[in-house]
Amino acid sequence: MHEFGIATEIVAAAVSEAGKHGGGKITAVTIRVGVLRGIVPDSLRMLFEFASKGTPAEGAVLEIEDEPVFVACGECGETPASGLTFTCPVCDRAGVVVKGGDSLRIVSIDIE
Amino acid sequence: MKVEIEKEIQQSAEAAARVLERIFASRKVLAVNLVSSPGSGKTTLIEALIDRLAGRKRIAVVEGDIETEIDAERIRKHGVQVHQITTRSACHIPPALLVKALDHIDLDAADLLIVENVGNLVCPAEVPLGEDVRVVALSVTEGDEKPLKYPLIFKTSRILVITKTDLLPFVKFSTEAVKAAARSVNPGIEIFETSAVTGEGLAALVDRIEALHAEKVR
Repeated sequence: MHEFGIATEIVAAAVSEAGKHGGGKITAVTIRVGVLRGIVPDSLRMLFEFASKGTPAEGAVLEIEDEPVFVACGECGETPASGLTFTCPVCDRAGVVVKGGDSLRIVSIDIE
Repeated sequence: MKVEIEKEIQQSAEAAARVLERIFASRKVLAVNLVSSPGSGKTTLIEALIDRLAGRKRIAVVEGDIETEIDAERIRKHGVQVHQITTRSACHIPPALLVKALDHIDLDAADLLIVENVGNLVCPAEVPLGEDVRVVALSVTEGDEKPLKYPLIFKTSRILVITKTDLLPFVKFSTEAVKAAARSVNPGIEIFETSAVTGEGLAALVDRIEALHAEKVR
């Protein structure tokens, strides 16, 4: 459900940026999504397609980059992980601090 | 042509959450965001807290539901300020809606604002409301593995309130197992075991809320 609001914001941000660079047709939009955001890529792509209809971003490819979480362990330092974890991926120790993985950023757009 | 942007999306939600933080700070109100699955007893817990805090702290409540004013009507009977947000289709209270809801609440006449979020263990975890304290409620009928299945909401909550402990003799639920599960995702989480029917554990929770309010206004 909340993917639709996000899709609408991505389209608005992309169209606004494209406007600053001549307002051409947008062929691709790249976003970076933290693995903790719980966003379903296929749903977001489908809703992006819907939300972009009739805008300069219609037909653009939505590229989704994953942002990992970083698990900070007193012994092993920071290790990236592909999902939420509460133990160190290296030594399996508990009591680690999980950092990052919560981004939702528009990284770049490709304009014709 | 590639244009680099590097801009956070959903800035409007984050900006609204910052606005809420400033409102709660300037009015010296302790804001509690109460989250849980549907049916875990959030409204009943709020009613029990209102009754026990009567004469000690002034409470205001914002109720969030997809539809209806049913919960606000329940709370209104306890003689406190209350406003109902109906989110229509949204699965959580968006911060901008809470900013608008506060037009209906006199925060200068409140020490504690309890926001009852939409019953959902997923989306409310990702949407801060500028609150001082996030409280997650979990009833003993839901199963003791919930913190492992929905880790983010337990990781982002300061307090876990286990509700309906009067039903423990009738359900397969291990309080020790749920505590271990919650602590595995959030080692510092504070846990209270309560029953609104017997009153168990409510005094300790009320004391903790009063202490958090005292910290905020100090």
